[in-house]
Amino acid sequence: MKRFLALILALTMALALAACGGGNEPAAEPPSGETPAAETPTGEETASTELNIYMWQQYISDQVVSDFEEANNCTVNISYMSDNADAVTRLTSGGGDQYDLIMTCDAYMESLIAGGYVEELDLSRIPNSSNINPAYWSSPNHSIPYLGNYIYVVYNTETCPIEITCYNDLIDPALKGQITSIDGARNLFPMALVALGYDPNSENEEELAEAYEWLVKYNDNVVAYGNAEQNLTNGTASVAFTYDGNASWAFAETGGADSPLTVAPFTDDAVQLGFDMYVIPTGAKHTDLAYKFLDYICDPEVMAQNLEEFPYFCPNDAAVAAAPESYRNDPSKDFDYKENVFFQEDVGEALTIYNDYYQMLKVGE
Amino acid sequence: MSRHKPNAGAGELEAINRRRDVRRKTIPALAQAGPVSAWMVLFVTIPMLYIIYVSFMSRGVFGDVVYEFSLESYQTLLDSIYFKVIVKSLQVALFTTVACLLLGYPFAYYIARKPPEVASKLIMLIMIPFWTNSLMRLNSWLLLFQTSGPVNTFLQWAGITSGPITFIYTDPLVMLGLVTNMLPFAVLPLYSTIEKLQNSLLEASSDLGANPRQTFFRITLPLTFPGIFSAVILVFIPSLGIYTVSDMLGGGKVLYIGNIIKNQFGAIRNWPLGAALSVLLLVITGLLIFIYTRFAKLEDMEVV
Repeated sequence: MKRFLALILALTMALALAACGGGNEPAAEPPSGETPAAETPTGEETASTELNIYMWQQYISDQVVSDFEEANNCTVNISYMSDNADAVTRLTSGGGDQYDLIMTCDAYMESLIAGGYVEELDLSRIPNSSNINPAYWSSPNHSIPYLGNYIYVVYNTETCPIEITCYNDLIDPALKGQITSIDGARNLFPMALVALGYDPNSENEEELAEAYEWLVKYNDNVVAYGNAEQNLTNGTASVAFTYDGNASWAFAETGGADSPLTVAPFTDDAVQLGFDMYVIPTGAKHTDLAYKFLDYICDPEVMAQNLEEFPYFCPNDAAVAAAPESYRNDPSKDFDYKENVFFQEDVGEALTIYNDYYQMLKVGE
Repeated sequence: MSRHKPNAGAGELEAINRRRDVRRKTIPALAQAGPVSAWMVLFVTIPMLYIIYVSFMSRGVFGDVVYEFSLESYQTLLDSIYFKVIVKSLQVALFTTVACLLLGYPFAYYIARKPPEVASKLIMLIMIPFWTNSLMRLNSWLLLFQTSGPVNTFLQWAGITSGPITFIYTDPLVMLGLVTNMLPFAVLPLYSTIEKLQNSLLEASSDLGANPRQTFFRITLPLTFPGIFSAVILVFIPSLGIYTVSDMLGGGKVLYIGNIIKNQFGAIRNWPLGAALSVLLLVITGLLIFIYTRFAKLEDMEVV
């Protein structure tokens, strides 16, 4: 018995230690404070005093947020996600109603709407949404696109041994250990599928198997996943497969217009364009403020100010026009295939095939 | 009935005494062990039971957990890919443990033979880096060793290398990160056993004609086994599940069991499979500890 107890104790201790070892994801802080409904029985009619947002870190200007707080006499609590799937997990595993706005991406919208996890939007309460280019607005009844990201290739003309004009150049053995790449099954597979001439949102197992073979070669050339701007500026990598926003910082740090970096002059291959959009989760408690915030962030002047700090691709045409020179002349936006894009679509059950191959890719032989 | 009456008084007294005795023992015990037990039950036992429960559920279309009994997750575990990952994770954990022991033992021995004031200062030196968050320490390794970082700059300045060397995102750096992260967990239990080692035993050994090597292998090492055992457990188990080090220093190119579990709960959104993998990890750990208790008495384990 004593031995058994000691065993249990050792196990528990081991578990506690193991738990210490992991977890770099910031736990979403539960929104504090009382709901306004508790203050007055009429709830809806009184203005809320807090707004809880769940979104990417390093993605909105603090100034823009504090101006909103001041104008509406409220507190904005922002919790950060570490992965797109995080936000979807929040919405689908219950507890989405802790937040008033959640950021998600176009790839998940279809299932979120089908599952009834997001509220339908009343666009008449967001008059500024008319500034958004409808070409970039995939689910106008349920989401407001915030900023977008091209996922493209940038390379250093001085150190990269070859010129890159298509995805297939990336599996050239000359680039061994030269590429810093974004991660994730739904970012890597579309590139391979396009390189092979297939639909980037393929649900066909054989095509995905071929894409996997392609990615094995790509993986050989990758020095690291993540940290693209750092690896590009400190010389660890000469090629980056990354977001245009990250590329923008890398350009700025290596001399702006004089930077040795260049956006790869792709000729035929389409690049991925993804949007991060705000949705109101079903059962959100402070929808009045959520609507106000959505309208506020669609205001051209506000968004232009935000773009100065976060130079991502913006679907709000009026805001781009109002944005400072530095944004409009950003070398990371200087490429001529902006229209040749594809979007991430919901692949349904085929996602498991993606994930299985992705794990195989990373586990290796 | 009436026959028992004369004894009733004595029986009652006995009962009162017993109750007082119980109270005298339980209240301090509750006060001492209660908070920790409550903490453990709340944050370890209950989540663990929930994980076991979820592992037998099924995955919904939207990545949610559907509360229907299913063995699907455990069937998935039979896939050879998980076997490979586990073997790889065990290798890394084994390497880390051996490296920590080889580095930690001489160091702990050195500290333990110093006078107490010096020893406590040396122990502090081990602890100080751990006042900083481990992610911060890992990031500083990256900065030090990056292509244009101080180490490369120095090597080129001193003429040792002609061009920058890629240190970061390589296996040796991952190992370095793991060993530095885990070293204190080896040094502290080793120190506490070596410190208890009586000098008289070592003197007796040499008086009886043993050379230092014989003394070490036949006296010192066997007497410090409990410390070695606890060092092994304290290092091996966390390094089996750790994933941040390989993620950051290895450039996210290799997945270990910890990464796969994290992905199931995050990006891939298959909680039942993630839970089943966690259970598998638990079983492996439990098994190792069980095998361990065959060789060593767990009661002997020294944890500082």
